[in-house]
Amino acid sequence: MCLGIPMQIVEIDNFMARCQAKGVERDVSLFMLQHETIAVGDFVMVHVGYAIQKMSEQEALSTWELFDEILSLEDAALQATPQ
Amino acid sequence: MSLSSQQWLDKIHALPLRKPVKIMNVCGGHERAITLSGLRTALPKLIELIPGPGCPVCICPEEDIYAAIQLAMQDKVILVAFGDMLRVPVNVAKHDIRSLEQAKAAGADIRPIASPLEALKIAAQNPTREVVFFAAGFETTTAPVAALLAQGVPENLFILLSGRLTYPAVAMLLDSEDAGFNALVAPGHVSAVMGSDEWKFVVEKHQIPAAVAGFTAESLLAATYSVLRQLLEEKYFLDNCYPQVVSGTGNHTAQQYLQETMQVVDAPWRGVGVIPQSGFQLRNTQQDARLHFTDYASVARKRAGEMPAGCDCAKVVLGKLYPNQCKLYGTACTPRSPVGPCMVSDEGACRIWWAGGLRNE
Repeated sequence: MCLGIPMQIVEIDNFMARCQAKGVERDVSLFMLQHETIAVGDFVMVHVGYAIQKMSEQEALSTWELFDEILSLEDAALQATPQ
Repeated sequence: MSLSSQQWLDKIHALPLRKPVKIMNVCGGHERAITLSGLRTALPKLIELIPGPGCPVCICPEEDIYAAIQLAMQDKVILVAFGDMLRVPVNVAKHDIRSLEQAKAAGADIRPIASPLEALKIAAQNPTREVVFFAAGFETTTAPVAALLAQGVPENLFILLSGRLTYPAVAMLLDSEDAGFNALVAPGHVSAVMGSDEWKFVVEKHQIPAAVAGFTAESLLAATYSVLRQLLEEKYFLDNCYPQVVSGTGNHTAQQYLQETMQVVDAPWRGVGVIPQSGFQLRNTQQDARLHFTDYASVARKRAGEMPAGCDCAKVVLGKLYPNQCKLYGTACTPRSPVGPCMVSDEGACRIWWAGGLRNE
């Protein structure tokens, strides 16, 4: 549950933002980033639906890469689990 | 320019290490990245990477899960919880309901959620029902719960809070006679919220090198290299190897909401016991499920609060034992039929090791 996912902001409506990560869209609260200036196109680290920090595009992209790797490894290992 | 994983590994292998080094991490996300990118086998043999108390589901009090099950069994209640919590078994007699998942199968209205925002939505959509949000988690999860409360919630939403702080468990280990590690990789996202300064005590009070890491292999290797160099040079400082997201003082807005809506109290950790000033308690008693629902009986049970019989999760959580040293690992306990919480949660060391293909010793 505490896995952070970098997402890019697509749309902002008050404290809520539509964000995307690799084609998947989610509503994300910006309530904890009121001290920041946030704009469409920015990247944020999202935890359980709340943006906790702004981040750079480069950092977001390298984290996405890592997740792809982890997910494919985990899928393979869990499928190999005996019944 | 930042270095690649291979460059970091080369630098680590070039260090004149003579003695074994035990580096603890306290974050399920770190342990996942370490295990699944195979860092352990790539590092010099003298370096041990130990998964410590980094899984909130694993240390969530058994009594709280039991209470959540009892509340969920009431007709008027909709219970919402993070999906990870549903399969954690409690200690009850053989034919009693032992998890939220079993309670759901028996007809309880239990809904797994991925965000506190969903709890809000469910409460708003069901004004005639009482919605209980079983909120277990570390600072990264508890801060959003605080933000939710600060923003205002409907009267029919109640919180069963099991929020915990990460650093007091590390402080407890370091204050004990045998901490079991001589360097720390501090959690990236907990630090993003609370600030990396929170971990300075490790260096200043205990003279243990520490570095905050992110979740890529590069960041974890940078932190590993940093603590190794600190050990070799005997100059200790808190290094921030995740400056892209972490600052010394963290997210002030998040901290303000935590402060406004919750207070820090002594709190029990499953299988570990009470850790001073390690838990969050709601300030607003109206929203507190523990105070609103007085009609669920806390009956005396055998092994209440403990880990399941034969399960070594308590030792795994504290980094005293590796997952595959537990005799249930991979035999009675697998991700398909978990016995202990460390095999249930995506952040539990046992589940991570199993997913990483590590089998019994």
